[in-house]
Amino acid sequence: MAIIGKRLVDQVRSTGLKATVAQRLDDGFTRLTSGLSWNDVRGVLRGDPPGKPNNRVKPHTEAFWFHIRPTFYHEAVTTLYPTFRLGYMSALFFAIEIITGIFLMIFYTPSPERAYQNMLDILTNVPFGQLMRDMHRLGAEVMVVVVTIHMWRTFLTASYKKPRQFTWFTGVILLIVTMFLSFSGYLLPWDQLALWAVTIGTSMADAAPLVGPQVNLLLRGAPDIGAGGLLRFYLFHVVLFPLIGVIFVAVHYYKVVRYGISLPPEMEGVGEDSARKVGPAKRVNFMPDILTNELVYAAIAIALLTIASGTFYNAALETHSNPLVTPNHTVAPWYFYWLQGLIKIPHILPVLPEALSTQFDSIMFNVLGITPKILWGIIIGPVIPLLLMVVPYIDPNPSRRYSDRKVMITLGVIFEVAILYLSLAGIPTGVPVTRFGFVGGDPASEIAQEFMPDEGVGKVKRVPWDQLAVGTWQIVPPDEAPNAPEFNHLLRELQQDMDHRTREADPNGKKLSGGTANVRVKLIQPDVKEFTLTISFTDDKGQPQQYSKTNYLHRNSGYEKE
Amino acid sequence: MNFIKRIITFQPSWTLRIITGMVSVVAFISMCLITGVLDISGAMAERDHEFTGRNIEAGAKYYFDQCARCHGGKGEGVDGLGPALSYDGFLGKWDPAKNTLGQSARLKAIGWTSSLKGYIEAVTAAGMPIKSSPIWENPHPPFALAYGGPLRDDQIKNIATFVVNWGPGQVAPVATQPEGGAGPQPTAAPLTAQQEKGKQVFLGAAGCQACHAIRGVAAGAVGPTMNKLATTAEARIKDAAYKGTAKNALEYIRESIVNPNVFVVAECPTGACIANVMPATFGTSLQPDDLNALIDYLGSLK
Ligand code: HEM
Repeated sequence: MAIIGKRLVDQVRSTGLKATVAQRLDDGFTRLTSGLSWNDVRGVLRGDPPGKPNNRVKPHTEAFWFHIRPTFYHEAVTTLYPTFRLGYMSALFFAIEIITGIFLMIFYTPSPERAYQNMLDILTNVPFGQLMRDMHRLGAEVMVVVVTIHMWRTFLTASYKKPRQFTWFTGVILLIVTMFLSFSGYLLPWDQLALWAVTIGTSMADAAPLVGPQVNLLLRGAPDIGAGGLLRFYLFHVVLFPLIGVIFVAVHYYKVVRYGISLPPEMEGVGEDSARKVGPAKRVNFMPDILTNELVYAAIAIALLTIASGTFYNAALETHSNPLVTPNHTVAPWYFYWLQGLIKIPHILPVLPEALSTQFDSIMFNVLGITPKILWGIIIGPVIPLLLMVVPYIDPNPSRRYSDRKVMITLGVIFEVAILYLSLAGIPTGVPVTRFGFVGGDPASEIAQEFMPDEGVGKVKRVPWDQLAVGTWQIVPPDEAPNAPEFNHLLRELQQDMDHRTREADPNGKKLSGGTANVRVKLIQPDVKEFTLTISFTDDKGQPQQYSKTNYLHRNSGYEKE
Repeated sequence: MNFIKRIITFQPSWTLRIITGMVSVVAFISMCLITGVLDISGAMAERDHEFTGRNIEAGAKYYFDQCARCHGGKGEGVDGLGPALSYDGFLGKWDPAKNTLGQSARLKAIGWTSSLKGYIEAVTAAGMPIKSSPIWENPHPPFALAYGGPLRDDQIKNIATFVVNWGPGQVAPVATQPEGGAGPQPTAAPLTAQQEKGKQVFLGAAGCQACHAIRGVAAGAVGPTMNKLATTAEARIKDAAYKGTAKNALEYIRESIVNPNVFVVAECPTGACIANVMPATFGTSLQPDDLNALIDYLGSLK
């Protein structure tokens, strides 16, 4: 103590108080940065050339965060092409998710009694709550996109080839982790969307031969998703998957530093890997060039994400989950549409003529116990990521040049087109022209579903509350309510939809026949209206039938904003 | 091609980096600040309103599913089944100036010291162990899952929010909970032999009781209740939407049995009634004598 004090006093005596404080502060700063003084950092941010000796390499050996980044890059990989900074962006979004996620964790309890109310509280009682939730949700979706495109670019530039096979392998694991992170997070708001999307997802596991029911039970904690399932998904979402993610990001990054970023294919000879053999003239130092670029990209990405979340993007919150009511047309999250499309493939060999393939299905079922659903959903579905993992180990072509890889690139494009096609087939409307994957009930309930969907905001909810004219209104031909243009527009749209379904059969050959309909609006409380759509039609057997659906609408519910 | 090349080989200059970096950071911070300020100065409150509105909508749905059968679609109560909820004796007087409800006479009478909403939630969840008056057929049943009912806690909360939301839209009660306890027992005129025969048709040959309720006689819960049918029939004929030919209650009842689709009413236990649910064959399947007796019996329900 005495010695430190004496030194300090001596320093103040010889250089003055101000200089001493400045020197001591700079000393502390240098410790924090593992070797860069305040002036060094300013130099980096302003793009000054390094001094001699170059103390900017010191953090790369001394400090953890910099030691997972290389000291220099080959000049050819510092432009947008070939990396497009997509790997970095993936890592950035992972970090954003962790930070916004921790914020949300503070206000969230993983219990069926509390979770939904917690979500409401986050939106209505926590300042920045909605912003954080929107950023977390949007960030998660963007992350899935970014990681997928990152995979695409490493595929196209053949960066998975020797020696980077394992980098690619860990990458696929990160892709799976990313999707599972999104998926497990989906359940947590505990609304109808959450419960049923996840129920669909886990019931796929249920169909797996032998272990399916056990896996399903393990995931859900009970035959149905309830308190146990919610807690498990929460723990997956905040502990298990982030942990796996962090571990594999570390391994992935280590491999990237170890082998360097692969040069653009056309710059290397076949079978050559020169990413780490960079002559001094071709080197671009991490500091200042790469670092500042990355900081700018991060700043832009964060600003865009924040602005999108703060303005037009609104993470949906449907009604409280209800295990007893399955909303019509539930779908998994969009990045799993392809899997939903896959299980809609009707036969084991769909290329054969209908009669033959039905025959074949029953043979396969009798001999191996395999149904088309099991084959496509449980066997092929999980095989796809496994296939991706082994791509570098089975691709025999040593060349990374585009012109030498026509077969592989074509295969890749076919794969991508197939995934997109299956994704379209995964949604209830099916693929546009072929209509593969279409699901629909009888026309009357489809009309009701289109205008008054079980979950989400349909056209009925968007009509301004004041315009919902009390009374009974015919649809065929549409009545006109006074002073209610949007309500009248709704009636006309209903009539057009009925007309359309009367003229044209849906892909299942179903048509609306003898359809008439009315809308009844009743005021049941000073600020609540009851909206009932009743459709009368004739069924296949010529019997008169009626279908009716009711929505209750409160003046303040603000649906028109969604 | 050249253009693409320029994009993918683009290297931002230092000035550009500094400017975009600064602009982005400023944009990020301002967006956060704007959101924060908006949140505390009204945006959160507005979302609170929106979600309260949506909770009331959900409450309305559950109310009509579970409660309206006994408490009426307008909360006016149903004779013998359940008391009115949307009248000032229960909710308290609505004060439009202050946008609040006054003291509830009912809660005062039973000495409930917690809130009105708390009372509604408690009774809906747990039911009542005894009838508070002999005019009710049954004590209040429990609705919470925890007490063997069908509803989750959030649904019960939504129902209570919906009921309290009647505040400014109160109606005159049809069935009122007598505050003191025992109220007058409804006295019905004894049935004639013809009407007694009709009652047996209702319960037996025709099978009406499977779908329709009459207090103390039958408890069908598919079609509209027959309580006070003579009175409701009079009102139906005067309904603007009524397109049938009946001139009085008895004619209306006959028409409804023989040709049920002429006028489909809105008050079935689970919501609006649906056409073609009631068979249109009674006109031919019942003996004319039986039909007349049935109509006579139903017409006696005033
Ligand atoms: C959370 C997910 C991921 C993160 C954070 C991440 C991060 C990174 C980073 C920072 C790089 C450096 C080069 C660049 O930016 O392109 C990189 C390279 C690479 N990544 Fe990823 N990555 C992820 C997912 C994936 C996936 C899904 C794959 C492929 C299936 C993959 C395969 C590769 C390969 C092969 C390289 C080497 C590229 C080269 O050397 O040119 N990564 N990754």
